[in-house]
Amino acid sequence: MGAALSHPWLRWVAGIVALSIIPFVLQPYELDLYRKMLFWVALAISYNFLFGIAGQMALSHFAFAGIGAYTVVILLTQADFGLGIAVVAALLLAAILAFIVSFAATRLEGFYLALATLAFAQLLTVVLNEGGSLTGGTGGLTSYSFPAVFGVKIEGPWYALVMVAVMLGTLAILLRIDRSWFGRACRAIRDNTEAAAAMGVDVARTKIIVFTLTSVMAAAAGMVYAFFDNTVNPPVFGLENAFLVLFMVIVGGSGSHAGAIIGAVLLRLTQDILEPIVGHYHALGFGVVVVAAILFQPKGLIGAWDALRARIKARK
Amino acid sequence: MSAMDKTLIEVRGLTKNFGGLTAVDGLDFDLKEGEVLGLIGPNGAGKSTTFNLLSGGYPASAGSVRLEGVEMLGLPPHRIAARGIMRTFQHNMPFEGMSVADNVLVGAHTTMRSGLIPVLLGAGAARAEERKARERADELIDFVGLGEFRDAEVTTLSFGQGRLLETARALAGEPRIMLFDEPAAGLTPGECDRLAEIIRGIAARGISILLIEHDMRFLLPLADRVVVLNFGRKIADGAPDTIRSDPAVVDAYLGEAGGVGAAAGSGAEPRPHA
Repeated sequence: MGAALSHPWLRWVAGIVALSIIPFVLQPYELDLYRKMLFWVALAISYNFLFGIAGQMALSHFAFAGIGAYTVVILLTQADFGLGIAVVAALLLAAILAFIVSFAATRLEGFYLALATLAFAQLLTVVLNEGGSLTGGTGGLTSYSFPAVFGVKIEGPWYALVMVAVMLGTLAILLRIDRSWFGRACRAIRDNTEAAAAMGVDVARTKIIVFTLTSVMAAAAGMVYAFFDNTVNPPVFGLENAFLVLFMVIVGGSGSHAGAIIGAVLLRLTQDILEPIVGHYHALGFGVVVVAAILFQPKGLIGAWDALRARIKARK
Repeated sequence: MSAMDKTLIEVRGLTKNFGGLTAVDGLDFDLKEGEVLGLIGPNGAGKSTTFNLLSGGYPASAGSVRLEGVEMLGLPPHRIAARGIMRTFQHNMPFEGMSVADNVLVGAHTTMRSGLIPVLLGAGAARAEERKARERADELIDFVGLGEFRDAEVTTLSFGQGRLLETARALAGEPRIMLFDEPAAGLTPGECDRLAEIIRGIAARGISILLIEHDMRFLLPLADRVVVLNFGRKIADGAPDTIRSDPAVVDAYLGEAGGVGAAAGSGAEPRPHA
């Protein structure tokens, strides 16, 4: 089994099969947790590329999920677009907005980039709250449903497969480009911008591409999310979740794809398991995990795992 | 070195003012094809400023720097690299989150021709290019003698090894011209000898080299020709042997550090910026 799984294609096939079977054996409540976890994993993977690999401390990632979610619903229900066109148009809008934000943000780094993108995220919640009938105001948009595709209703576990596809698609694309000159250019910019430029990396262009690409990926995940509960509202796309995706990447191990996945699963589980038991105090458990990770293992859980593996190897 | 008649880089009237201070003042020199040119001078002579002007770090106040007749002043650093001019940093600047091999591969950035879409689709050409780049990076790592550290994190390298990594990384860009910014600074005598050998090896590959250096003992045996700066101006330009006995040069160094030899290996020159 281990030897057979060493071939990358087989590993992908095994992953796709496993993630696709799970929805069909889950109870409705568990299925809801499962698909939301996949949503968070998809966001954490793309945010890890933006923050952990390309070094852009942006806080607009979750806002782009909101842009994707709201846009596709508005285009479907208020503009009477077909599903395909609505999806493409929503992705295009997200790409245009991301391009504009990143173009403005290429001169900003670290703290200032965080502030500028935070302002953008805040602006979005204002727009959503004040958008009148277009965005549904503070109550958001409700009472819509995922349109039938060629006459077939995609519901329940079958809809969870859409999230599986978006999550795995995000992972596949980012793994590919990470292992190319582009991924190396991103890491080089993160580690030393001046040296990256001296090696011929067009820093501004690379930053814009990464920001736009990962923001569009967030929008794609957000579009799927919009039909989980068939409701979108402003608080979901506010500050709390903007920071949650950052914490997922930090706890898991920023810069590592596996770390982002582990961080997302762990922080979701902390919430999903603790919330029924201790109610709002689950935030306390969450806080302890985040602070412990930052204090004791700056490279995140994946860093702890690597260190452990190195120690075992050294002992052999 | 025989056929050194073709001029690659032509520097004319290069000037840089920092407020009231003129760090580089009407500098003229040529870098010829296949040549190892040394640029030397005592502390504050304008060497590092000249280096930063050539590599796109600072905008010049006046003058021109032409590569085969095409103006380079005003180009950002990444465009200068794309024209085949690669550099090393005096204070090593590795990409700390990456392995030695990946650091060198970043140096190959301008040689990668495949677009993002072919990379995404896993096109055969893109994969072949990546494979070739990795092979070349491995060769260069062996060339500078870091073979056993190929997969190591760069933070585990010593300062001297870091300088060798800088060299391999710049070479990966398949440069026509290499700019070395005080390569001997901070190295032990043994490491200096090793680096000098590597620089000779680079010149033997037909790459033109501009060495900006404080340390005469390191530079003079390496260079085909030496340009001497003092207070931002050129005071001598010629073969190492004539430079050694040039009264103006002896004067400049005597006035500063008590002799040509005594200036060796300090590497503690304060830079106007940075």
